Amino acid sequence: MASPVGQEEPRQLPVRWGLSAHARRLLTLALAGLVIAIVTRRPEFAGLAAPALLLLATWRTDRPRQVAARVSMASSVVVEGVQTSVRIEIHGLADFWACLVVEPAETVTAGAAVILPSGKPDRSASLRLVPMRWGRRSLGLLMITFSDRYRLTEGRVLVRLPSVNCRPRPAQLTGSVVLSRLPSRLGEHPARVTGEGGEFAGVREFVPGDRQRRINWPATTRQGTLHLSTFAAERTQNLVVIADETADVGEPGSSSLDLVLRGAAGAVTRYLAARDRVGLIIHARSLTWIGPGQGQRHASRLLDLMMASHGGWDRAVSLTRLPRAALPPGALILVFSPLLDPLLIEALRDLRERGFSVIVVDVLNAEPHHGRSTLSKLTAQIWRLEQEAIRFSLTQIGVPVVHWDGVSSLDEPLAPYTRRVVVARR
Amino acid sequence: MSPRGQDPTARNRSGNRLPFAGIAAAALLAAGSIWWSAAPLAGGSAGTRLSLIVAIVAGVLSIAQLAIVAAVPRDTDAYSPTEQAARRVAELITTLPWAELMTVATLALEALHAAPAWHTAVLAFALIGYLFAVHLAETEAGASVLRTQLSLLAAGAGLTALAVGASALPSLPAGPAAALLRVAAIVIAVVVAGLVVPAWLGRSH
Repeated sequence: MASPVGQEEPRQLPVRWGLSAHARRLLTLALAGLVIAIVTRRPEFAGLAAPALLLLATWRTDRPRQVAARVSMASSVVVEGVQTSVRIEIHGLADFWACLVVEPAETVTAGAAVILPSGKPDRSASLRLVPMRWGRRSLGLLMITFSDRYRLTEGRVLVRLPSVNCRPRPAQLTGSVVLSRLPSRLGEHPARVTGEGGEFAGVREFVPGDRQRRINWPATTRQGTLHLSTFAAERTQNLVVIADETADVGEPGSSSLDLVLRGAAGAVTRYLAARDRVGLIIHARSLTWIGPGQGQRHASRLLDLMMASHGGWDRAVSLTRLPRAALPPGALILVFSPLLDPLLIEALRDLRERGFSVIVVDVLNAEPHHGRSTLSKLTAQIWRLEQEAIRFSLTQIGVPVVHWDGVSSLDEPLAPYTRRVVVARR
Repeated sequence: MSPRGQDPTARNRSGNRLPFAGIAAAALLAAGSIWWSAAPLAGGSAGTRLSLIVAIVAGVLSIAQLAIVAAVPRDTDAYSPTEQAARRVAELITTLPWAELMTVATLALEALHAAPAWHTAVLAFALIGYLFAVHLAETEAGASVLRTQLSLLAAGAGLTALAVGASALPSLPAGPAAALLRVAAIVIAVVVAGLVVPAWLGRSH
């Protein structure tokens, strides 16, 4: 769950004082002028050094060795590509200007430097940062430079910024794939059977025991006997998202693993928002899963599982049969994978044989690098044919494979399945 | 604002506007200082050409240093070998103290010429101006930050004038001119003290 991070109390940090670059240049001018005046016995060179020496005379000697600072964030959980802010409070050194510059960590971008003017004993500022890639990472370092009014003295303080749990940016998905057969749990999808839902299903003759409030008066008047309206039952759907983390190919930032996580996060967010029960299976070196559930806390658990490296149920690498406990009967299986791991492909075939409705979102956007030789070209051709064969074989057994480039909305590749109910076949 | 909602003005890696004016002022003052101290080139002693070359190279690189620090991003992502080599060169340029080197070379050029005292005083003003222009461009601060130092700068100018007068004294014949110069020197010294002492006392405020 999101929680505030940072220090509770301001921490005393050592300040390293020194000459500013401006002071060093003035000192060079003054010393060079004086040396030349002595060597050449020309007093005008001593006069040349005078302005610089006068400016350096205002050098401050009363410089505190420590300053109190506190760094905090509203939440330790951020989303990639979404701006977050770090609050810094400085207590002390009121006579000095403070310049706050963030040295961002890799894949983090920082906003503009912030300058806090002198005069107040307690000063604070918010620094803007944007983590550009998912994962648990440090935001970087904060360099605070204190300078006096003449910019001759500089004191530097280095502060480590807090680490954050950066979640993948959920892919955009507005529609949802709904199966024809839904488990008998109350939900929001109209089912084929009649029930207590709100969607009109038809008209039938009244039988004793029916609720009178559902009598359809126009039909009753027409037919001469009591008729009543029937409504479709509203059921929930079980969705299990399989995220294949076995391979990470392609350009960093849009690699297959990036797309897997963004797509899985998008599906989890969309289906939980539609009150469906969503589970997650991470297919990596180890197999970890969380069974279907609902609610914000469950969403948070699923997204945290995507970030976790290892944990949970761990079995041999040669596993081709996904655990029954993670797969409730009649669940829709949405797989995000580059389809490079033969074990996962075998597991998908097994799922289909067990009667699950499976849709694969292929996120492979890269090819192995091949040379210009004839043999390399032939290798590349064979690799492509092999990939096509894998996708074709899945399609043939009733597992549709759609390709997602990671740029467009997930609605585009899933459109053929979101526009109508997908018939669950056994 | 541009149609996409972004400010079209060029900005540096800190997100602030690039200090074009500061860099241009520093470049002009550097060129002016070098030219002032080197002319006439034929009138210099041995080593004038070497000093001139050092001054020009250091001056150009000090301006390049300002431009690099202001404009080039510090991203550490992967680059091609050409970009990595360019990054190494940029790091070398930004690491070395080119402004200090140019200052020393320019003073050496001036010392190698038998220039009158007022000539050196003009160079002093140009060099101080150059150093402040570099400082303002480097810190991206406005010229208003110099307001607090005006009294000290005025005092420094007075002391420079005093030094010029002191160097002229031996060549002056005894008489009213020399007496007037001595009186003027005393007045300047008093004014300088009046300007410096309050600034020195109030340096912690």
